[in-house]
Amino acid sequence: MSLEEKLEKWRRLEEEAKEIRRREADWKFIESLPPKLRVALKYYVEAGDLYVASRIAGLTIEEFNELRKRAGIPNVS
Amino acid sequence: MSPSDFAIADTCFLIDWSYWSCRDVLFKLFRAIFVSETVLREVKSERAVEWIATALASGQLALYTEAPDVMGLATRIVERSRLVPGLRGVDLENRGAIMAVDLLEELSGVVVWRALEVIRGAIKRGFIAGDPEQVFKLYEEETKHRFPRAELEAVISELRGEAREVAQAGGGGEGD
Repeated sequence: MSLEEKLEKWRRLEEEAKEIRRREADWKFIESLPPKLRVALKYYVEAGDLYVASRIAGLTIEEFNELRKRAGIPNVS
Repeated sequence: MSPSDFAIADTCFLIDWSYWSCRDVLFKLFRAIFVSETVLREVKSERAVEWIATALASGQLALYTEAPDVMGLATRIVERSRLVPGLRGVDLENRGAIMAVDLLEELSGVVVWRALEVIRGAIKRGFIAGDPEQVFKLYEEETKHRFPRAELEAVISELRGEAREVAQAGGGGEGD
């Protein structure tokens, strides 16, 4: 498989993961949260990056991971 | 040294994994698993902290302090990954690490396992019994994790195929 084909494979997987996160997120719950938590969860839905999202929220990774579960967002990997 | 002697666990994996009822199977797959100090700083809940502390006490987990030369190497790998268009930074979530190993030739000897591959390894070696689909489903339910469907189906198919081969070989032996 060429580099371009591999990149395309990964791009498709990224899109699939993002779509699952967007679809399953409890948006009503997310919109009810204070700004930092809300923005961090929206970042997580788009990027799937727990570490950066936890830094945006001002939480540890485990604390943010619990918030992710409450918001119904699956960790797709 | 076999590849399964040692492993290094990242934060996201360990936190999710610690919530699974079959979490201790990890210690059957590897002789010792290193966790860095940065990982410990991210763990807060009693359930996760207690599991990690118990495993540290028994030697199944080992604390790993990042030395300056290791941090230098890590920085170089991160910079390299950031220079490849389309490649997620290796410092980002675990997909970045998996992609880097897949795309960068200098890292082709590195083995990166997600929960998917760890569970696959545990089932293949007989450390977890039962229908593979149900095992993966349980992990997804207990950790609110989701495996990519195509990859999950391929792994389940592979594991069921091997189980059938073992059953058939056993059946043939009984008839001899």
